Amino acid sequence: MTDTRHRGWLRDLRDGLAYPLTSNRRLLLAGVATAVTYAVLVLSSFPQFAVQTLTRDPAQLAYAVSALTREVYLGTGWLGIALVAAYALLTGVAVTNAVAVARRARRGGASTLAGVLPGLLAAGCASCGAGVLGTLGFLGAMAALPFEGNLLRIGGILLLAYFVGRTGDPRTCSIDPTR
Amino acid sequence: MGSKGKITRRRALLAGTGTLGFGGAVAYLASRSGSSAGEYVPETSHPSDGTTGFGVELAGRPIAGQADAPVDVYYWTDYLCPFCKRFETETLPKVGRNYVDAGDVRLVALAFPVIGEYSTPAAVWGRCVWETVAADEPAAFWRWHGAAFDAQERNGNDWATAETFRGITERTAGVSLDAVEECRQSRGDAVRESITVDAELARSVPFRGTPGFVIYNRESDAAGKITGAQPYENFADAIDRVLDA
Repeated sequence: MTDTRHRGWLRDLRDGLAYPLTSNRRLLLAGVATAVTYAVLVLSSFPQFAVQTLTRDPAQLAYAVSALTREVYLGTGWLGIALVAAYALLTGVAVTNAVAVARRARRGGASTLAGVLPGLLAAGCASCGAGVLGTLGFLGAMAALPFEGNLLRIGGILLLAYFVGRTGDPRTCSIDPTR
Repeated sequence: MGSKGKITRRRALLAGTGTLGFGGAVAYLASRSGSSAGEYVPETSHPSDGTTGFGVELAGRPIAGQADAPVDVYYWTDYLCPFCKRFETETLPKVGRNYVDAGDVRLVALAFPVIGEYSTPAAVWGRCVWETVAADEPAAFWRWHGAAFDAQERNGNDWATAETFRGITERTAGVSLDAVEECRQSRGDAVRESITVDAELARSVPFRGTPGFVIYNRESDAAGKITGAQPYENFADAIDRVLDA
């Protein structure tokens, strides 16, 4: 029974991950959400620096992102920076799917809150995750966390993956075969 | 319109290329070490004591530039901080040549050990090096200071050990390892206390990371703050404004 449920979740995760590929607009939204999330995650690793640099000259965004990408790598290694990139990609997918779920709910297609909740949680998790990582992520503090904060990043990614899998393809209503 | 709602080969290819491009760009930015403007050794350095109008205690702190420079730049740093290394290699040489050596700025190096376990011991090494060379050959401190940042390795703080700093001290011309070791043994507590004073002032500014800078006009009492290794133009702009304030 559990095996079937896992297989179902994996299938839904695959469908959820593939959903942005179903239209040009969704693909663009996922790309923009990924880029914005990556910038926010990296900039929040040293918020004081990011805010001061960008308020002085927003054109220095590229400098700030590039400088802090290097710092995140130097502080957490290839695993750390890869996890940040993966988190941003997954957030891009989660936001795209959440938008679809929210639209469906607005049209009245979802009859229960349970149908909408996973998508909203995915989006919420994405933004909350960025905030948590940022708050804990200023230079020096990550060193105090287990594995330089990589454990926290892995936790965020797993949570996002769970919610993306829970929603599946937002256009379909899946029926849990175990019930 | 036939492709609407379907996963087309073109979109799949676009997404794959985009993901690879995104990953490649992140890897490129992570591995790029940035441009180096060369090592900076100030033309003049001097020891001083007393407390500045901003509340910085000068005794035992390395000071670059002329004693009567109108503007102070207080520079909180950590030898284990990679962002400080970026400032040291990309920005400090230009700030040094254009403002410190020109007589406009006096740069005071302060400790803010926040990165790793060896941050405070590394700061003690630095203070003791300064203490032993300040009177006769202050330029030796800046050579040691540059070498300490050069020793930073790509990842983690494992490189920062007593052995590493002993080696840097031994190799730096004009610095006596014996004298520095003697300072660490006999004056370690007092030095650590002065480092705590610096760190408390940094927290009160407030800075939440390194490097942190306060630019202070000693005459007009005007001050500005810079957080992190910002581009040279931001430093030049901030110094010019405080100079004119």
